[in-house]
Amino acid sequence: MTEEFEPKIVAFLCKWCSSAGSDLAGVSRMEYPSNVIPIQVLCSGSVSPLYILSAFNKGADGVLVSGCHPGDCHYIKGNYYSRRRIALLKELLNFIGLEPERFKMSWVSAAEGTKYTEVIKEFVDELKPLGAQTKLRRNG
Amino acid sequence: MVALEDLKQEAKNVLEGGTVKYIIGYKKPAVGFMAVPAFFHKPEDLDALVWDPTCVHNLVLFLKDEKKKKLGQKEPDERPVGIVVKGCDSRAVNVLLQENYIDRENVYILGVSCGKTGMVDLKKVRKYFKGKIISQIDFNENESFTVTTTEGKVEVPAADIFAVRCTECITASPVIHDVLLGGDSVRTPENPFGSLEEMESKSQGQKWDFWQEQLTKCIRCYACRSICPMCYCDECVVDTINFAVYPDTPAEEKAQKIKWVEKSPTTSENFIYHMVRAIHLAGRCVDCAECERACPMDIPLRFLNKKLEKESKKLFDYDVGYDTEIPSLISSFRDEDPEDFIR
Amino acid sequence: MEKILTKKALPQWLIKLNAYQIYAPVKKENHWSYEALDKPESIRLDHLNTIQSPKMIIFPQREVFFEFHNAEGNTLVMKEPASESSATVIFGVRPCDAAGVTHQDKVFDGHFKDLYYWKRRNQTILVGLACNTPPSPHCFCLSVGGSPHSTAGFDILMTELEDSYYVESFSKKGDTLISLAGDIFSTPKENDKKDKEKAHSDSEKKLKRHIKDLETVPPKLKDMFDSPLWEEESLSCIQCGICTYLCPTCHCFDINDEKDSSSPLSGKRVRTWDNCQFPDFTMHSSGHNPRPDRASRLRQRIMHKFNYFVTNYKAYQCTGCGRCIDKCPVGIDIIEVLEKVRDYGK
Repeated sequence: MTEEFEPKIVAFLCKWCSSAGSDLAGVSRMEYPSNVIPIQVLCSGSVSPLYILSAFNKGADGVLVSGCHPGDCHYIKGNYYSRRRIALLKELLNFIGLEPERFKMSWVSAAEGTKYTEVIKEFVDELKPLGAQTKLRRNG
Repeated sequence: MVALEDLKQEAKNVLEGGTVKYIIGYKKPAVGFMAVPAFFHKPEDLDALVWDPTCVHNLVLFLKDEKKKKLGQKEPDERPVGIVVKGCDSRAVNVLLQENYIDRENVYILGVSCGKTGMVDLKKVRKYFKGKIISQIDFNENESFTVTTTEGKVEVPAADIFAVRCTECITASPVIHDVLLGGDSVRTPENPFGSLEEMESKSQGQKWDFWQEQLTKCIRCYACRSICPMCYCDECVVDTINFAVYPDTPAEEKAQKIKWVEKSPTTSENFIYHMVRAIHLAGRCVDCAECERACPMDIPLRFLNKKLEKESKKLFDYDVGYDTEIPSLISSFRDEDPEDFIR
Repeated sequence: MEKILTKKALPQWLIKLNAYQIYAPVKKENHWSYEALDKPESIRLDHLNTIQSPKMIIFPQREVFFEFHNAEGNTLVMKEPASESSATVIFGVRPCDAAGVTHQDKVFDGHFKDLYYWKRRNQTILVGLACNTPPSPHCFCLSVGGSPHSTAGFDILMTELEDSYYVESFSKKGDTLISLAGDIFSTPKENDKKDKEKAHSDSEKKLKRHIKDLETVPPKLKDMFDSPLWEEESLSCIQCGICTYLCPTCHCFDINDEKDSSSPLSGKRVRTWDNCQFPDFTMHSSGHNPRPDRASRLRQRIMHKFNYFVTNYKAYQCTGCGRCIDKCPVGIDIIEVLEKVRDYGK
């Protein structure tokens, strides 16, 4: 029996919404895959493209950036900046041939524990058939 | 078409009158035919000034040095620097103005129009004139160049030897200038992003194979970064010391600084470097393609920047280097920005 | 040993050398580069200057010294990487590039012997090709003590004649290469020798670029440390690494520990090229930079090649290959700079 591939996901979660949403999923005892390495950031707008590239470089099979819904940003407009930047990075990574499924963005509010688990479940399901990410990985 | 004598006269006027401290322009090299950047401090030096289709360099790059030099001086000469600027280069001036890196009164812009053609691509010229010794290339009124070799003069259709970026150019004459030579020249290329199409139509696997081969060649000489007028950061993520160190910076802090990219020119590290550079130039790159020209390893770097230029236009309707009053691409947003990719 | 090899028989010779790793110049779309040769019949020896010299094979840009990881009980385990290098033949090397190798030899054979370098160097056999026509418009080897048919550093030098190569061997390694395919070589006749000598003397006349009285430059440089010339000449320098990375003689390097992506407790100690034109090359940890500007970095490049190296090793650290002139994106020309130094104050 071959062991099923378990993708490693690095998730940049904003402190005010998505991270709180993941906490809610946790304290509510919702079940979701344990493939995520969460990194709390102050705002999705603070996620530099370099963080994302670096996560791939250090062996992430998928990267998720998650922030507050538009209009809900604790810093008023951080998530709008993020939306623009991530759109560009997504196009760039697609252009150089990285599978577009490996890089995701989501809006998850502090009340959406259920949505958080759904996002992760979907992401894991999409990553499993792709196998390990070796393209951008150091020594990969 | 720009008359060289007019350009020299304009340059002389401002240098003699003391309006500018010096002029950045082009001159002939000691050997060969491709013009090189030149710094003219005295009016009599200006006899060496040239303007022809080999003036490929984006001289706006040297405004970075000027700014850094001025910062180090106690009583700097506040007069502007004269600079010869093509259409594409003029948009680079605009981006620097938009980002408040320079002030309008820091530069005196001698705008030159490329007319119906543009700049030659040295690789194409070498291929076309295999083994022949070229002494001069000149503009013509029509869409061709006159090339002088040891065997005489020949007229060459521009399309055969000029740079790909010039076929996609929409600003053949400067959009900002103090004097404009050669008149306004409007160009409407059929497909301003045509060179990207072949690449975009490839499968993910083919795209990866292409870029893996190309970027693995990189020897990390950083010529692409160094020649870029937009790469003016004091600290760059790829440098071994990528943060400001002061005499009182404690050792622990130095030791704990993150090393984002290793010095090894391996595929993974080269990708980080080139991806970061491309993203940093989104909404700032004016497609002067100097990075690609400078690259000693023939990596088609322009593609990366052109792709992001295309997406900025498509997704955010953003044009680079025309309006100095609008906020830059990634420090602004619109409510209607696309978010169909977000879950 | 002197032999004649017909041009047609060249691939046959290479087939006989199958025990060696062979590198040869390969034509790419816009340039030539040294690559491992898998099909001997595809060999072409009409190459122009390759982008990088064979330095990239003997002294590669990245070299792993050892690997380390933290084993059980918090003990550090170090391991040398499996030796991947085997006996190597580099084919079609130009005399300037072989001269570059001899300069590297001097540096790595000094007070400290660089074992990593010598391990590779001792396994390398250089088979050269004399330049009947200059492979770059900027060749100036004659001015820096070389020549288009110099034998320095070579195990074998080939000279192209009408439809054959005149093959000269200068070492035991070279003799072995020839003896491996002994039957396809013939003995040179008197007129072959004459043809070779004519090709050699003709080739010298074809060089386009020269520096007169270069020998006056090193003593002059000793008093030019504070000269304003460096500022003037470096105005357009962008401080990239092209001139030094492509140079067949530049040998500066850096050593770093690279952590593996998976764990901070394992990694490699790696040597990579470094470069005196980068601003951070001389940066002190205090934040002070003794070479703070373009002028001081250009000065360093010229001083090292034509002053310090001459003092230390009695040779110019330049072989006249012309790469730095050809590839400089802003047209800085080392010949022009040296001429200005020579004529400075006259």
